[in-house]
Amino acid sequence: MGRILTPILALLAWPKKVIQIDEDALNFLDGKTAHILFAVGEAVTGEDFRVKVPHFIPLIDEYLAYQRRQQREAFRQGLLLVENALANLVFGGRLRGFSHMSIADRQRVLEHLKGSDTQLLRNLYAAFVNVSASAYYASEATWKDIHYDGVSVDHPPLLQVARWRSNDPRPVEP
Amino acid sequence: MPGSIIEGRRIAESQTRTPDFCIVGSGASGGVCALKLAEAGFDVLVLEEGPNIPHGPGHGGPSHVRPSFTEREIDMYKTLYQEGGGRTTSDGGIKVMQGRCLGGGTTVNWSACLPPPVFTLDHWRTQFGLPFTRQNLQPYLIEVVNYLHIHQNDRYNTSAQALIAGCTELGYRWSNLPNNTHRCRECGSCGVGCPYDRKQSGIVTWLPAAVERGATIYTDTKVNHLKRDGERVSEVQAAFLDAKTQPTKRTLTVRPKLGVLLAAGAIGTPSILLRSQINPNELVGKYTHLHPVTICIGRYGQPTFPAYGVPDNMMSDQFAAGPTGYLIETGSFFPVLSAAASLDYGERMHRLMRDYYPFGAIMYAHHCSGFAPDQPYGTLKLDRYGDPDLEYQLAPDNMQAMKHSLIEMTKIHLAAGASSVYHITNPSLEISSTNELHQLNDISFEPQRTTIFTVHVMGGCRMGADGARSVVKPDFRLRGAANVWVVDASIFPTGLGANPQVTIYALALWAAREICTQHNRPFALHQQQEETLPWAGY
Repeated sequence: MGRILTPILALLAWPKKVIQIDEDALNFLDGKTAHILFAVGEAVTGEDFRVKVPHFIPLIDEYLAYQRRQQREAFRQGLLLVENALANLVFGGRLRGFSHMSIADRQRVLEHLKGSDTQLLRNLYAAFVNVSASAYYASEATWKDIHYDGVSVDHPPLLQVARWRSNDPRPVEP
Repeated sequence: MPGSIIEGRRIAESQTRTPDFCIVGSGASGGVCALKLAEAGFDVLVLEEGPNIPHGPGHGGPSHVRPSFTEREIDMYKTLYQEGGGRTTSDGGIKVMQGRCLGGGTTVNWSACLPPPVFTLDHWRTQFGLPFTRQNLQPYLIEVVNYLHIHQNDRYNTSAQALIAGCTELGYRWSNLPNNTHRCRECGSCGVGCPYDRKQSGIVTWLPAAVERGATIYTDTKVNHLKRDGERVSEVQAAFLDAKTQPTKRTLTVRPKLGVLLAAGAIGTPSILLRSQINPNELVGKYTHLHPVTICIGRYGQPTFPAYGVPDNMMSDQFAAGPTGYLIETGSFFPVLSAAASLDYGERMHRLMRDYYPFGAIMYAHHCSGFAPDQPYGTLKLDRYGDPDLEYQLAPDNMQAMKHSLIEMTKIHLAAGASSVYHITNPSLEISSTNELHQLNDISFEPQRTTIFTVHVMGGCRMGADGARSVVKPDFRLRGAANVWVVDASIFPTGLGANPQVTIYALALWAAREICTQHNRPFALHQQQEETLPWAGY
């Protein structure tokens, strides 16, 4: 089924190109799915996405290498499905490709997927949130907002005082 | 003469090897068997699908001795976990976190060490004819405890302190959960690999000791098929993987003189057998069990530094009794793990991260499963590309217990002083008082309605004395294949009911003894000097 549906969805998809993507460097995404994925990431995390996660597309393209093949294909198909204007008429009430919508309209589509009674659509939603939110909060540019100080090998002084057990005076092992 | 670790990604040509034993997998059971068989004088070859983790100077000061362990989540999940940390059950409902690197799960677990529960061993003996008892496992448990420096580390992070405070207030039991660490630096990064070699994982203990005694380990080497020749497996066929886990055209053919030990874990081992069309009693992949995990995060009035400190050294067994009981444990948590578990997006997701991450303490419950014969269980199948695909359905009893655990963990957080407790549900739920607990009775465990994960996968090659109801004999030999032993958690007939690494180690020692005895070779335990186990009342 997927092997028939994916090429059809790909033919129908003409995503909006808002960032420069080096398509030759992609291994598992292609130009179309990469632009749709960027629109998804922006919808999940907000307008500062492109500033905070400038390498989102290569990051996720590489991450897909570690997925099993069937999952990779399902992810690509999900991206193409959400870009389909007819599908979005069902999902969010707009006869437009996902990447052509405003962030607010894209979030309406996400909301529809999130609350769907169809498990596959909820799984699609969860996959979108998973890759976008992971990439966003992997970025050091977001850590200040959540008061995360980084990892100990980059900042050895983090382990000099055990702030996580302030009532226990024993030092951390050297 | 010492052996070596050979990285498959650097190999230029296909190879053939003829060791005495080929061990598939370098995790808890593979490491133990590699050492004990090498000690017995066998020529041992270990095949590991994941990458090597070389020793060497790191950039984080003199104690940073594993440079590839950067503690950076997304890079570490990608390279150290199955499917980049993205493995799920086939319906997407349960995230399955499994190691995929030298040392397997021992490299990325949170160091928690518990013994096999007596009620589980009794069940296995009476229902499946397994030979293991609390008494006859004692020398193996002592060996594991002493070799891995399993002890009670009483330096508690904020989540552990919250569990102590809440349980004390409610009159619930709590106790130290022993760890296999030595001079822990409290970086909190057990789950992404200890950069300081303080966790006594396989890469620090069993595996280098096995190499010292002559074992050879190939990393980046994925076993695809076992070639059968009558009642024996004559060949192990593997492919070398590149740095991004993609198969190369270079292969490794192993023709073991004496046998094959399958130690690839409860998803890996059944997958190899299914791909090889070796399926005793048509039961391979059946009866796969998980410990489903529920989670909640309390918000406290001061910064908690949740990424740091010893992650998993406190527990409550207040509700652990019985076949659907659960253990409450604590952990450390990081930005990516927290965000990836989210079922929210946009400003609500960011608000929850801002509110709960800096001030959060985490509790989670491992749920026992697989004891009632009429319950649903997991079935491992292969997808159209031959990769594993785990169908798993939560049992009604489990779902009831999971609601119970969410309610009890919320009560513990609130009793400890949390101002609110966040549940990763769809829609997300925040509870601020015990009057609101009834809302948890309405949550659903359908996929993507509540975040559920597991780090313990068991079964799929069930061991048993009944020749028609099992895949593996009680002496660890695969039915119908005289020279194949299955030594990992896939042999468990049910879920264990506790963190399984100690049980896997102990049973692997037993298996190694069986193999040495069958081949008239010496087998010895060397760490019997201290007979006190670190588990109170065990």
